[in-house]
Amino acid sequence: MAHRRCPSDGGRGAGPETVSGIGLRLDQAPPFSVPLRFFLAAPFFGAIAAVVVLAIGPEILASRWQPALLAVTHLLTLGVLTMVMLGALMQMLPVLAGSPVPRPVTVAGVVHGLLVVGTIALAVSFPIPYTGLRNAALIALGGGLGVFIAAAASSLVRASANASITAMRLALLGLTIVALLGLYAASTAARARWSYNPAYADVHLAWGLVGWVALLVIGVAYQVVPMFQLTRAYPQWLRRALVPTLFAALVLWSGVTVIGSSPAWLAQAAAAIIAAALALYAIATLWLQTTRRRRLPDATVRFWTLAMLSLLACVVLWSAHAVGMVADARFAVLAGALMILGFAGSAIIGMLYKIVPFLAWLHLQALGTSTLPNMKEFLPDAYTLPHVWLHAAALVLLVPAVLAPRPWLYPAAVVLLVSFLWLGWNLTAAVRQYRRSAIPVNV
Amino acid sequence: MGERLLDVSALEPPEPRDRVVAALEILADGEYLRVRHRREPLLLYPWLQEHGFAWHTQAGDITAFEIIVWHTDDARATAAAARVLKP
Repeated sequence: MAHRRCPSDGGRGAGPETVSGIGLRLDQAPPFSVPLRFFLAAPFFGAIAAVVVLAIGPEILASRWQPALLAVTHLLTLGVLTMVMLGALMQMLPVLAGSPVPRPVTVAGVVHGLLVVGTIALAVSFPIPYTGLRNAALIALGGGLGVFIAAAASSLVRASANASITAMRLALLGLTIVALLGLYAASTAARARWSYNPAYADVHLAWGLVGWVALLVIGVAYQVVPMFQLTRAYPQWLRRALVPTLFAALVLWSGVTVIGSSPAWLAQAAAAIIAAALALYAIATLWLQTTRRRRLPDATVRFWTLAMLSLLACVVLWSAHAVGMVADARFAVLAGALMILGFAGSAIIGMLYKIVPFLAWLHLQALGTSTLPNMKEFLPDAYTLPHVWLHAAALVLLVPAVLAPRPWLYPAAVVLLVSFLWLGWNLTAAVRQYRRSAIPVNV
Repeated sequence: MGERLLDVSALEPPEPRDRVVAALEILADGEYLRVRHRREPLLLYPWLQEHGFAWHTQAGDITAFEIIVWHTDDARATAAAARVLKP
């Protein structure tokens, strides 16, 4: 093991330098407002998505091309998942990679503003196909994601490699691919082609949910699961092999799917590798959770358990659908819902419940606040633990909601709405505690 | 031997930092603090520096990291700590 030591004359230690393999450069952390503006917007978009489901009713599940369903999907994937993930990356890149994102406050303001506007414009443009609206969405999302990708790439190319940085680099490539495919899909010619051949939409979806979302969650998990859930570290072979394998299999599967003339077994083999790798990650995380050194009830641990169980259920359903064991298209929709709300949604809520109080504490400490509140004062268990059950209920209700939307869609959407409102309330409660203890945050 | 022992290896961030700060505030003359930790306490270093402490982080026998901390103005503590530092 590498050592860090203070000067040999017995004097004071020098400033932070890294020894533990992962260099946390806390002095490089951006202002609290940088990640916070992203985190606080996410519950709003989740609640809007639930309201749209309630407003449209069971017809929303008539087909995967239903405009309102596409709107809800993008409100969740862009407005909730991508929103939080960009904020988390803005926070983690300087700290983990040791190379700051240039002009973090300006970049965060521009990216956040464009992502908010672009997501709303895109969601509205599905049911109301007005060209001006779609162009506004294209410009805002293309601009916002483009600025973020450029800023994050400039940080990541300077970072020294480790498993998390590799995952972040590949996830950023995944985001670039899904964004380009999405922008292309919005052009008239591409829409006609995608409607004709759903394989193109499948490739967009796979890069979004696996190439971007899953790769980043995995890369972040390597850090936050052992740190905040007090587990052992992920096995080194898994950290080295999992994300590159997933990425390579995704490239292979996409190529075969788009070209279409290659042998079917090749696409099936690539898909099987993706499914197996995701299942392995879920099982490894559940196993790590059994190695926790502290057995106290913890909302983050429980949300991550939900996330991993959802991922396993999603992999099983998707695999069964892919090999024709369940031909009903509704199972594919259920698999998608479990991936978005069950896996990524639960993981993100769990992470927010740890990272927001921790960042609040960190920034108060940096401000030299005399009496630092402890983590539980920012976000008491009484606020977060019941949310686990509520979110779990929403996930369980997804099953009848997709398979028998009349009448089950309504209770599922109501519980989901309350879940996102609860998240918003809890996050703002933590920010209120921060404000009581320090100077206001300009969000 | 002037050692105080603190094991924070089962605590999640930022509790270890708070416990170490509390332990250092009651450190007696001639004493150093041995902290058993599962991670390197990067959050702690700026505080140590500000408050006149020296430290040495090394591989632990029981936990992944061990941090030996003593006050720079305390000659006896400095000498006692020097005896347990690993090269």
